[in-house]
Amino acid sequence: MPFLNDIANYRSLSIVGLEKNTGKTECLNYVLSRLRGSHKQIALTSIGIDGENRDQVTKTNKPEIELSEGMIFVTSELHYRQRKLVSEIIDVSTQSTSLGRLVSAKALSRGKVLLSGPVSNHSIKELIADLKNKGVELTIVDGALSRKSIGSPAVTEAMILATGAALSANITQLVYKTKYVYDLIRLQEIEMNLKTQLSQVDNGIWAIDSEGNIKDTGITSVLLIQKDKDKLFQYGNRFFVSGAVTDQFLEFLKNQKQISEINLIVRDFTKVFAKPETYYAFVKRGGSIQVLNKTNLIAICINPVSPDGYRLNSEELKSALQEKVNVPVYDIKKL
Amino acid sequence: MFREVVAHTSGLQFLMEDLDLRSPMGRRYLLDSKMMSCEKEITAELNLVDRVVKALEWHSDLIAKIQNKLAHLRDISGSVNNLIGNLVLDDVELFEIKVFALVAQEIAALQKEGNSIFLKIPDLSPLVRLLDPQNTKIPSFYIYDNYSKELAEARIELKRSKSKNGESDEDIEALFAKMQGIEAKVREELCTKISVHGTDLANALQQLAHLDLLIAKAAQAKKLQFSKGEISKDKTSYRGVFHPMIKHDLAVQSKEYQAVDIELEQSVCIITGANMAGKTVVLKTLALCQYLFQFGFFVPAAFAQISIVDKVLISVGDEQSEMNGLSSFASEMLKVSSMVKESKNQKNVLVLIDELARTTNPVEGLAIVNAVADIFYDAKVKSVITTHYSGLKSKFRKLRVKGLDKDLGANVITHKNINSYMDYSLVEDFEGEVPHEALRIASLLGIDKEIIERAQDQLASKNKF
Repeated sequence: MPFLNDIANYRSLSIVGLEKNTGKTECLNYVLSRLRGSHKQIALTSIGIDGENRDQVTKTNKPEIELSEGMIFVTSELHYRQRKLVSEIIDVSTQSTSLGRLVSAKALSRGKVLLSGPVSNHSIKELIADLKNKGVELTIVDGALSRKSIGSPAVTEAMILATGAALSANITQLVYKTKYVYDLIRLQEIEMNLKTQLSQVDNGIWAIDSEGNIKDTGITSVLLIQKDKDKLFQYGNRFFVSGAVTDQFLEFLKNQKQISEINLIVRDFTKVFAKPETYYAFVKRGGSIQVLNKTNLIAICINPVSPDGYRLNSEELKSALQEKVNVPVYDIKKL
Repeated sequence: MFREVVAHTSGLQFLMEDLDLRSPMGRRYLLDSKMMSCEKEITAELNLVDRVVKALEWHSDLIAKIQNKLAHLRDISGSVNNLIGNLVLDDVELFEIKVFALVAQEIAALQKEGNSIFLKIPDLSPLVRLLDPQNTKIPSFYIYDNYSKELAEARIELKRSKSKNGESDEDIEALFAKMQGIEAKVREELCTKISVHGTDLANALQQLAHLDLLIAKAAQAKKLQFSKGEISKDKTSYRGVFHPMIKHDLAVQSKEYQAVDIELEQSVCIITGANMAGKTVVLKTLALCQYLFQFGFFVPAAFAQISIVDKVLISVGDEQSEMNGLSSFASEMLKVSSMVKESKNQKNVLVLIDELARTTNPVEGLAIVNAVADIFYDAKVKSVITTHYSGLKSKFRKLRVKGLDKDLGANVITHKNINSYMDYSLVEDFEGEVPHEALRIASLLGIDKEIIERAQDQLASKNKF
């Protein structure tokens, strides 16, 4: 029973697909089926509300999540009404998503549900904390790696990454892209006292001076860097970027002469939007990136079948990826 | 309605935001409440607030417990309306009704336990029994097996076929659909049964919203040192009246607010006084107190006797006249005209006009002030007009802000500390002259010296001839 022992150490886990149809849901169902035997109180939710729509693009089956008796799940009112199990409502949120309020319920029979959940980081954290108060020992978040979503799966303690042929039909490319995300997930977390300070910041670019004080550079977004170049280095070479880090921004930093002293801090790995080439060039020249919130990657699951029916060699893919990463790799179809 | 009044009454918004309302309905209840003009209604509400104020002294833990419970309430008015309209509710709505009923009962029990039933809350126990057939008192809900034997059996059958590996998906789907069908029937029956309690539920919702507001009013009255106004048949009089928002702002700058006394008769009253002497604040405070009183709040005064009015009409000249293309004079005149008209139709009003006709020449301005005051004088309309014009008819009652009368000693006054040297109290004034302190105040504000000097020259040369 691979990687389940690792899960036991965490109170929250997200399962994240690198692309649509990379087998995220199958991976989630696998984890759930394995946890069935344990006596842990488990809760399930999702980030955001894109739920079922995404798969209407490719017209492939989106498997619903199969819950077993006793599990708690959180979903929107709309999806709650479509549930295919008997369940008891234990809470209804006050704030609303576009699919209605969030309903927390306990499954009284086995069956399937569609999950949707809170949209922002803050509300996911709140929900996880609230579930903990209700006696939940492990919250599993069906995560999305989408630029459109403001909620990030990195708020959970642990993570499983799902990748596969849907991302690229070429093994070398697939491994390269997956390895990039793997590297970002493994970025080091910053020191605790700085983390507390920076958690309060919610916009702009901030600098950390030599004494460890945080200073607002006055630059509101990395998109405005061309205009405000001069302000960036006024307090030193260590920055916190509250929003996304773009290709252009990394490119700009890469070209500075003091590149080896530049240390960039981002909220979490999902905030790096740069191309892998740019990121690796930045690192190669001596720049470094750290994160405010680090999550522990415990496994990578691969799905060798793409939605258009293309099939990669599972063994070949698995060993190619395993060679590059330091976490176990599994073929989701063979588990 | 409070909703309309709050938008254009200075200080009312501040007090509303300051209210410690715990439930979402408390705020809605306040916004929807009507201005009371019936003596009995006002007395009843003020007595309730008074009881809570007293309870806050002796039983503050009980009130805290009730507030705690109130915070758990959700506004279920939508579901209640659906219920009364005989619609079938979904599980989420039934869950919310159940949670609401459980909390309502807990609050009712707390009131009973503390021997202080402020508002009677309908007994919802029959409803709770229906929604909690297992009698667990746990806030959760589903269509319980207990409701129907048929449902329980269908669920067992479904469970059995799921655990058997041989069953096909279609069979399970069919069994699930069958179970859902029974569930729908049971839900429908349940809704019919609980709809009988719809009115009680709606009533409880109102009472709890009211209770939330009462407690918030009482806590605020205690915190801001408001007092219970008494109903008066003729005069309205305040001792130590203050404007809570301005008092708060001053306190932030560690300055003190000087409370004043004022008495209004069933006639016109003209307030004069220097600039920066707080005439406008007096008007705003009078309007605020009248509204607070008639919405059942305590008032910001040490003592208050207030006569009830049907309407408060106020013009303080902060309307956006540019917006409708009128000059400030034109928009003021139209407003005053409509106020005069209204006071003719409906005598029992309180009219408050700040610096009437100030944007035109003093000769005609004075004539307008005298004319309007005359109308109110003849019609015995309770009204207050502030002005800087001299030459008011002697028959009008006049109040003057004392102004910079305090002994200054060697202190230098600036616009920053003027507040501490200004005496804001109102005195009866029997002369027709108004204080001439504009230049003094202007120089204190530190305006360009040349303006002051030239103005003084002007006055000096005028006096010569």
